[in-house]
Amino acid sequence: MATREVFESRWEAVGLLVPTVIVSVVFLYLPAVRAVELSFFEVGFGGTSTLVGIENYRQLLASGEYHASVAVSVLFALVVVVGVMAVSLFLTFLIHEVGVGQSLYLVASIWPYALPPAVAGLVFLFLAHPTLGVFTQPIEALGVEVDWFSDGGQALAVVTIAAIWKQVGYNVIFMIAAMNNVPKSLTETARLDGVGRLKRLVRVYVPIMSPTLFFLVIMNTIYAFFGTFAFVQVMTKGGPSGATNILIFDLYRTAFQFYEFGVASAKSVVLFAVVGVLMYVQFRVTEEYAHYGG
Amino acid sequence: MQENSAAERWTQPSRRSVLKMSGVGLAAGTSGIAGCVGTLGGNSVDPVNEDSLTLWHAMGGGLGETLNKIGDEFESETGISIEMEFQDSYENVLTNFLGALDSGKVPDFAQIDSLFAQQVLDTGSVEPVENFLGSEFPIDDYLPNVTEFFAVDGTLQSLPFNNSNAIMYYNQSAFEAAGLDPDDPPATVEEVYNASQALVDAGVVDAGITWPNHVWFVEHWYSTAGQLMFDAKNGHDGEPTTLLTDNATAEGLYEWWRRMADEDLFINPGIEAWGEATSAFLNENAAMLLTSTAFVAGARSGAEDNGFAVDNAFYPTVGEDRVGPVIGGASFFVPADLPDDRREDVGAFLEYMSSPAVQKQWHKGTGYYPIRQAAVDELESEGWFEENPMFRTAMDQLTTAESSPATKRMLVGPARQCQQIVQNTSVDIFNGTVGVEEGLGEMKADVESQFE
Amino acid sequence: MTLLETLTDAPDRTAEYLRDRPGVADLRDRLREDGLALHALLALSILVLVAPVLVATVVSTKELGIVTSLADLAPGSHAVANYRRALVDLEFGQFMLNSFVMSLAIVVGKLTVSVLAALAIVYYRIPYKNAAFLFVLFTLLLPVPVRFVPLFRLVTDLGWDNTMLAITVPYIASATTVFILRQHFLSIPASLVENAKLDGVGPFEFLWHVLVPMSKGVLVGVSVIMFVYAWNQYLWPLVIINDQSQQVVQVGLGLLRGQAQAGDVAWALVMTGSMLTLLPPLVLLALFRKPLLQTFTIQQK
Repeated sequence: MATREVFESRWEAVGLLVPTVIVSVVFLYLPAVRAVELSFFEVGFGGTSTLVGIENYRQLLASGEYHASVAVSVLFALVVVVGVMAVSLFLTFLIHEVGVGQSLYLVASIWPYALPPAVAGLVFLFLAHPTLGVFTQPIEALGVEVDWFSDGGQALAVVTIAAIWKQVGYNVIFMIAAMNNVPKSLTETARLDGVGRLKRLVRVYVPIMSPTLFFLVIMNTIYAFFGTFAFVQVMTKGGPSGATNILIFDLYRTAFQFYEFGVASAKSVVLFAVVGVLMYVQFRVTEEYAHYGG
Repeated sequence: MQENSAAERWTQPSRRSVLKMSGVGLAAGTSGIAGCVGTLGGNSVDPVNEDSLTLWHAMGGGLGETLNKIGDEFESETGISIEMEFQDSYENVLTNFLGALDSGKVPDFAQIDSLFAQQVLDTGSVEPVENFLGSEFPIDDYLPNVTEFFAVDGTLQSLPFNNSNAIMYYNQSAFEAAGLDPDDPPATVEEVYNASQALVDAGVVDAGITWPNHVWFVEHWYSTAGQLMFDAKNGHDGEPTTLLTDNATAEGLYEWWRRMADEDLFINPGIEAWGEATSAFLNENAAMLLTSTAFVAGARSGAEDNGFAVDNAFYPTVGEDRVGPVIGGASFFVPADLPDDRREDVGAFLEYMSSPAVQKQWHKGTGYYPIRQAAVDELESEGWFEENPMFRTAMDQLTTAESSPATKRMLVGPARQCQQIVQNTSVDIFNGTVGVEEGLGEMKADVESQFE
Repeated sequence: MTLLETLTDAPDRTAEYLRDRPGVADLRDRLREDGLALHALLALSILVLVAPVLVATVVSTKELGIVTSLADLAPGSHAVANYRRALVDLEFGQFMLNSFVMSLAIVVGKLTVSVLAALAIVYYRIPYKNAAFLFVLFTLLLPVPVRFVPLFRLVTDLGWDNTMLAITVPYIASATTVFILRQHFLSIPASLVENAKLDGVGPFEFLWHVLVPMSKGVLVGVSVIMFVYAWNQYLWPLVIINDQSQQVVQVGLGLLRGQAQAGDVAWALVMTGSMLTLLPPLVLLALFRKPLLQTFTIQQK
């Protein structure tokens, strides 16, 4: 049998791996480990530190504000993941179904992949500005008073919509590939049986696309927790009254505005744990699904 | 303690320089983070700009242009180069300056909002500016309200430069259109409420008044009423332990604020949203604006561009009493342990910036106070205030103030945290998420937890 | 026709279709088959997706940018003035240059380091191969926020703060890139590799003369992915760069916003900066969409 492993020298292999390993260890693994270590210290300005055991964690456990931040983040992530995937699936299916101009439609849908979050945030801040926004008047004509500088629910909604908008392109890229992967014979049969478009999407495409959809759930979850700092920083600064104070923003403020490095490290650890648990749950759910779904 | 660490600086090579000398950063870094906790920290500092002095500031737009002009003149007069670097907001200057003090690569000056003065002093990494000023420097020539705040324990810690307080601007054209007297602006919050109703009912503007959601405005309502905001004389007499909310001022303020929001008479431009608030005023969404006296120049030109007449008036009070405003604005902090060869230049810049001539120029270009008595006297004799009534009003608000512990601004260590608590809870209260009494209770408890 | 081609060669496919059954009448048939409703729905969806950027572009040509109703959406005449003011007077050009240097350095560094790692993982007979691969892959779960306090200390101790090193070197190790390259190398027929080996080619010659020519599309694709990723970085530069002359464009946008307000937020200028910031990744996406899409489909496997 042909093998790819054509080179034997272990030293050469080590040499090739060294740059990646060093950078990973020095800038990724060790700092992560040290974040865990620091979370047990009270760190003063300039680096003086005292071992305080689990005091930082106890403080987080007792802080209502922090609980609210966890709750907001989870809610935000949930809506972002579901929202992005619903919008993208719908859009992808339309592109898939169309026979003429597919390429043009595709490019027009995937471009937000290139959109920087800070830009997305600023543009939305401007468009939905309570007093100046272009879209504010039309929305207010529908009877909704646009007041998201004061209204926490609205603020979270605006940030969520901006975050979804940015992430649609990335999802369409993967979904269109997966959808094209569905055997024509299957869909053709369904079509001839008179199954409507929407039903075909749900009954035929979605199950077959499920590995891709699962991959996207994970990527979107990571995005919602780690990739959305700029939206909050640019649009709401965590406000009003903590309504958009997602974990990553809260963490930044604790570390670099309040300079509480110990507490901030504990928050890093919690953030890692929250995302870890969510990943685990998603994996389990998928396994279950794969089991029953055959 | 301070001397001790200074001595250590001379005797121990800094970790940072060791790391640099070792050259190969990666290897050194590995052992660095594997090393024990607590040995990191600033023992020596390097300027961000070797060839030039650097000032980090938060003066955007027209203020920044005036500041740059002053910098250019300093360069041509002294031959010392100065880099004026805009950093967006006081909050960002604070964040970046703390980061710089921690890392050891510092600007020569940072323009720090007086709100954060204690937070910066607490780092122990700044040097009193008095050390850089010549022995004949007339510290006594500063206006008393200014020195009272910036001299801590008798030493001038930072150089006051741009100082202001909050004042009310109002759209005279809108007042006239709503049948109000354009020369008799509201003096109390109750009168603001009545005027707002008249303005909105007449369909002239969307709302009566706006101001940024910033703790400074709450501080003003306290100080104009002569009410302390924190115990220990707002932190000037030891470390405070609590926020004082059980008083008529706090209750009156928040009941009014809530009523204004309920009836849509107030536009909330957002947290620390200075630009948004002035936009709402200049675009005539709101007919009154509370903001810094530094907006005088901007208000004049902005109102002219937008075609309305503008004037300013004293800050509206919660009750009938009027004691005085808290002084705000910022001062220049200098990091400790700057290289010796820069000290002279640093001193020259500080003295230049505080000279009466520069203070006059700065005042005229912006609306910040001329904080040297000599500058005020010169402006008086030139007739400047007679010709420019808006500047007069601002100056009068400062000079007619009674001296009271309440007019000395809060000086607390966790200022950024307290600021966030007050601002966030304010939203909860005026939005009706919590009752006034309950909200004030929460605010107090949250602030207290910062002092534990 | 493979899937991938269906995805990326749609225009060719249309052409092919027309070649088989030529005639404009046929195109009309196909359109009818699609149904007008489908096209209308698609056009509407895409309009919603694009509208914010269209509005922002229009606003960036105005003087003040106060647009309070849809009727104000006619293009203004200040485009040149705004873009010049942002780039030259307000130093936005400097931020863009910094971002370019950072992004290019990250692309070159990451690509070099990752190609070497993938070469070792795929083409060498070494023990603990899977462990090495997992070690690289696990870094996906360690984004900056999970470690940024210690990272901040480390980078400042190295004296790297406010330098290009701070915002490039920590990004050089890349799980995604190693992964994509590994998948791609595994898809190259083993027989081909053996032939090269029989010719007695060394690893670097092999890399240069065999692998690289066979991986052009993927290499371009990952480069675009890395560039967009680097260009859009916000949080870490915000934390580690204090000296604004070294600042990247994402954070610089905030400075522009502050700078442009002379009492009044000059939204036109803010939108000008936003569009400038969006432009480079957008152009790359448009130019290299084919290799980009191909590369993405590899990532998912």
